[in-house]
Amino acid sequence: MNDLIPVSLRVNGVRYDIAIRPWRTLLEVLRETLGMTGTKRSCGEGQCGTCTVLIDGKAVNSCLYLAVEAQGKEISTIEGPPEGDPALEQIQRSFVAKGAVQCGFCTPGMVVATRSLLSEIAEPSEDEIREALVGHLCRCTGYVQIVEAIQDAASQLAHKGGD
Amino acid sequence: MTYLKRLPRFEYLGPQSLAEVCGMIAGTSRDEVMLLAGGTDAILQMRRRERVPRRVIGLKGVAELDFVREQADGGLAIGAMTTLRTLLASPVVGRRYDLLRETAAQIGGNELRNVATVGGNIAGALPCADMSPALMTLGARIRLSSGRGDRWLPLEEFFPEFGRTVAADDEVLAEISLPPPASGGAGTYLKFHDRHSMDMTVVGVSAYVVRDERSRTFGDLRLAYANGAPTVFRAKRAEAVLRGRALTEEGLEEAAETACAESSPRTSWRANGEYRLELIRALTKSAIRQAWEKASSRQEARP
Ligand SMILES: Cc1cc2nc3c(=O)[nH]c(=O)nc-3n(C[C@H](O)[C@H](O)[C@H](O)COP(=O)(O)OP(=O)(O)OC[C@H]3O[C@@H](n4cnc5c(N)ncnc54)[C@H](O)[C@@H]3O)c2cc1C
Ligand code: FES
Ligand code: FES
Repeated sequence: MNDLIPVSLRVNGVRYDIAIRPWRTLLEVLRETLGMTGTKRSCGEGQCGTCTVLIDGKAVNSCLYLAVEAQGKEISTIEGPPEGDPALEQIQRSFVAKGAVQCGFCTPGMVVATRSLLSEIAEPSEDEIREALVGHLCRCTGYVQIVEAIQDAASQLAHKGGD
Repeated sequence: MTYLKRLPRFEYLGPQSLAEVCGMIAGTSRDEVMLLAGGTDAILQMRRRERVPRRVIGLKGVAELDFVREQADGGLAIGAMTTLRTLLASPVVGRRYDLLRETAAQIGGNELRNVATVGGNIAGALPCADMSPALMTLGARIRLSSGRGDRWLPLEEFFPEFGRTVAADDEVLAEISLPPPASGGAGTYLKFHDRHSMDMTVVGVSAYVVRDERSRTFGDLRLAYANGAPTVFRAKRAEAVLRGRALTEEGLEEAAETACAESSPRTSWRANGEYRLELIRALTKSAIRQAWEKASSRQEARP
């Protein structure tokens, strides 16, 4: 069986030409091959959302996605693009300001999912925020601060004229 | 600990057309080859070593299977690779097949719906799959494709037993087709589950009512169940109970009782069989009532 296959992945706007094994998930390749450990693994079965990344702007669980299948797509992670991403940074500032980060393990997934939510709905209602986060578990905060952080990020970004 | 396990080794193929897929699976067996649509269940099956295929054929590149379109006869055609997100966002689905939108919205969260496909939900043959009962009550037919050609069959004939479909090893589910919505028709999907839409369905009921406006009776009623039996199924005796009758408490009671008699829910750590029967009884009544009310209010709203 041919093991290593060449793939070209675009992550945060940067192209990586690498050789991977076809049975590796996108999560494994991001963390282990590319050394981008911001994206976390917890359940490994689509339940918790810590492994969330964006593929072509849409939130997906990278633990349930083969890396070979992410070729030709735009992958965005919590690390963000080298030139910076004001929206991603504002969301993180709001999470810190509102006490939405305790142990922090769920935070990268929450932040990335929020990035996608706010690009679709600039000022989501509380219901829309909670609906967008059903696939994310947080064992620490009780979610209230997370909802507040997202509302704060949305209003800060709206006042700055968005991204 | 399953969740820490890596996937078993396999060779990966990424065809770009249905003809290529058919060529790749011709003459192979399901033990050696696995189709991967969204992968949201397929990857877990491999991680748990329930399936250890030698070769995985990824369908994400097969663009011709990703479509939702209105048909000339007023019906709907859905490609097997349509994601639940695409289905939810489709204007024609929202306008004319509200039951499908309502059902897809109850499956998983954004992260799941952005990749999970309609075809994968059906072809996985899980008794707890939510799209299958909704599609069955809408009268869905499915198209299976292989190198030998295409064949169509009613979705209700697709699941012969737990976890299996009647598709041969060289057949791919390509398309789902729905007849035009009936005049006076409306449906509701109700499911019971632990953690919002993120947990597997304990019991799900799809009720589709066609209300006869003049006689104010059930012109037609279709009922299908997730986790009511080892496969998704239609409860045809329960349907017959109400046809031609008006909506009454006794009628609902009788239909729900008949649906329980037709069901054979299993006992698992999620819920025991008796509890599931209680759910079937309660959800059947609510689903029929809600579908009836939707159908009535639509008829009244019409100019
Ligand atoms: C966290 C989580 C929550 C979930 N919640 C729900 C829920 O609420 N309701 C629900 O119904 N399901 C749920 N699921 C199960 C699953 O995600 C869905 O059933 C999904 O629709 C499967 O689609 P897929 O495209 O990911 O299929 P895949 O995982 O790619 O495939 C599933 C099976 O079907 C076969 N297959 C796929 N496409 C075809 C085809 N075109 N022709 C022939 N065979 C094919 C595959 O070989 C595989 O055996 C959940 C899963 C997770 C991880
Ligand atoms: S690690 Fe992917 S959802 Fe939990
Ligand atoms: S902050 Fe600890 S899990 Fe969310």
